[in-house]
Amino acid sequence: MSSQEYNTVKLKKRTGGKVRIGKEIRAWALLIPSVVLFFLLVWRPTVLGTVWSFFKMDAYTPREFCGFDNYIRVLTHTQFLPTLWNTVQYVLWSLVLGYLPPVIIAVMINEMVHFNNGFRSVIYLPAIIPGIAAMLIWYYIYYPDQTGLLNMLLMKMGMEPYMWLNDPKFAIVGIIIYSTWKGFPGTMILYLAALQSVSSELYEAALLDGAGIWKRAWNVTRPQIEGVMLLNFVNQIIGVFQIMEQPLAMTGGGPNGASVSLSYQLYQYGFNSGGKGTGQAMALGVIIFAILLVMTIFYFRLNKRVESRY
Amino acid sequence: MKRFENKSTTLLSSAEMKTFKGQFVYWLFFAVLVAVAVVSVFPAIWTLFTAFKETEEIYGAFTFLPKNMSPSNLWRRIAESWMQLQLGRSFIETLILSLGNWVFAVVVNGLAGFVLSKIKPKGSRLVFVLIVWTMMMPGQIRMVPNYMAMLNFPFASQKSVMPGVSLLDTFWPMWLSQGVSAFNVILFKNAFDGLSQSYVEAAQIDGCSNIGIFFKIMFPLAMPTIIFVSIGALSGAWADFFGPLLYFDNLETTPLKIYRLKSDSSVHMNNQFMAYIFACIPQLIIYLIFQKRIVGGVNIGGVKG
Repeated sequence: MSSQEYNTVKLKKRTGGKVRIGKEIRAWALLIPSVVLFFLLVWRPTVLGTVWSFFKMDAYTPREFCGFDNYIRVLTHTQFLPTLWNTVQYVLWSLVLGYLPPVIIAVMINEMVHFNNGFRSVIYLPAIIPGIAAMLIWYYIYYPDQTGLLNMLLMKMGMEPYMWLNDPKFAIVGIIIYSTWKGFPGTMILYLAALQSVSSELYEAALLDGAGIWKRAWNVTRPQIEGVMLLNFVNQIIGVFQIMEQPLAMTGGGPNGASVSLSYQLYQYGFNSGGKGTGQAMALGVIIFAILLVMTIFYFRLNKRVESRY
Repeated sequence: MKRFENKSTTLLSSAEMKTFKGQFVYWLFFAVLVAVAVVSVFPAIWTLFTAFKETEEIYGAFTFLPKNMSPSNLWRRIAESWMQLQLGRSFIETLILSLGNWVFAVVVNGLAGFVLSKIKPKGSRLVFVLIVWTMMMPGQIRMVPNYMAMLNFPFASQKSVMPGVSLLDTFWPMWLSQGVSAFNVILFKNAFDGLSQSYVEAAQIDGCSNIGIFFKIMFPLAMPTIIFVSIGALSGAWADFFGPLLYFDNLETTPLKIYRLKSDSSVHMNNQFMAYIFACIPQLIIYLIFQKRIVGGVNIGGVKG
């Protein structure tokens, strides 16, 4: 019997049922604001978004049921498969470029006896700059003429300027380089916290056994941060799969749709189609939801298992 | 070197620091970190220099450093940009947004966490399960329906029986969204779970109301979590640009303002960059004040939740 139950039983014995009902009501009164907001902004829209994805929409008013029309339009659009592939490319590049650096940098900072705090503060800077300012700064870093930082440096070294984000092959990589720069401090802090909870006795024991640096890194450090690493791996896939603001602010989806992601496409359907695409936007929302559902369930299973280990 | 002798044993031990190999690995790490630090700050430094350049320099000279770096000239550039950018109004509006965000994040989420953790009325378990579930769902599915709800609040469709109110171009859509942070609710619940039930029982016997228990007893005890949530809510307003992009028209927070500047050809690059610097200042202040909490607060906000 939990202390809560015990408490209620005690009260019930003392004062009878009426007081108990009043108590329940008073408790719910404090929970109601939250429940109402969750209902209005999360639960109802999730259901309605699914229902209306089967409706013909007139701007922001649902008209009549139209079956799978919206889905067929989204899926048969010539740009759907390229957009899906772009989104997968975002995820793959983010794993290639952005997954390991936070771990490695955290391990290194954890070793420092010089400027330990200095490094932390300086390296954290990208995380402090508001996202949109950082995106636009990088938009100018990649600017295709000499006013851009990279081309200015290239020209100084006597090379030809490059088009950077205007090159369809580079646009996604460029955005991911920005996102890695912007996001790694936050992830690094997580790893640092995990590293600091590794007991030094483990390292000392490994030292006594004569394990070298790499052996210790692999056999002592790795098992201790593996859980966080796994979580971040799934988290990153889910997060980057939903990338939207970066193409919106940095490339506008261009050049020629080369950096359009699924979420950005949804935004275009929903808010930049003169009200013609709202139905498709919701259908695409359900499609993204379905793709991510599997990943997300997996993530929460994992989260539980990892947490129970700490 | 003395520092090495006191080094706690992590991957490298202090004994190892006396060997060549240990020293080599250590200084290699050091060099890599210096490089990472340079990459981290380089864009910011370039932003500073560009902001202080004259317009002709930007489109003609293509140098890294501005020509005239005398203090009086730097000050003149700041004043000139401030006059042209007219950021004053957007700063005030962002401040209002951030304060509302803060109230909603702390009070609504905090109350939910408190009731779910300590009072647990009948049926609250179901609410908690639903909240955790929705945390798993990607937000895209709700983007358009939410917009429709704000257009005709609180009904979702304009075909509803009663006419609703449009919340577009008010702070409400953003404020209300702060009240539905599943992450914050779970943070608060975890924090209150860590506090003894006897605080609540003792106060109840003394005749203290639930809301009194929340504000007078639970709040002070959950300070680290409250500060952590507050930092997120306050700084979020200075960083969020997508929400305002959807819901604001005449209202303009600084992130929205600088996004709109990008397509304003009358504002030259140096002034735009000055706007980025202005937009960073509030975040920088929050970071400097709460630096320890942000870096140390990870144990609350990081893996758990």
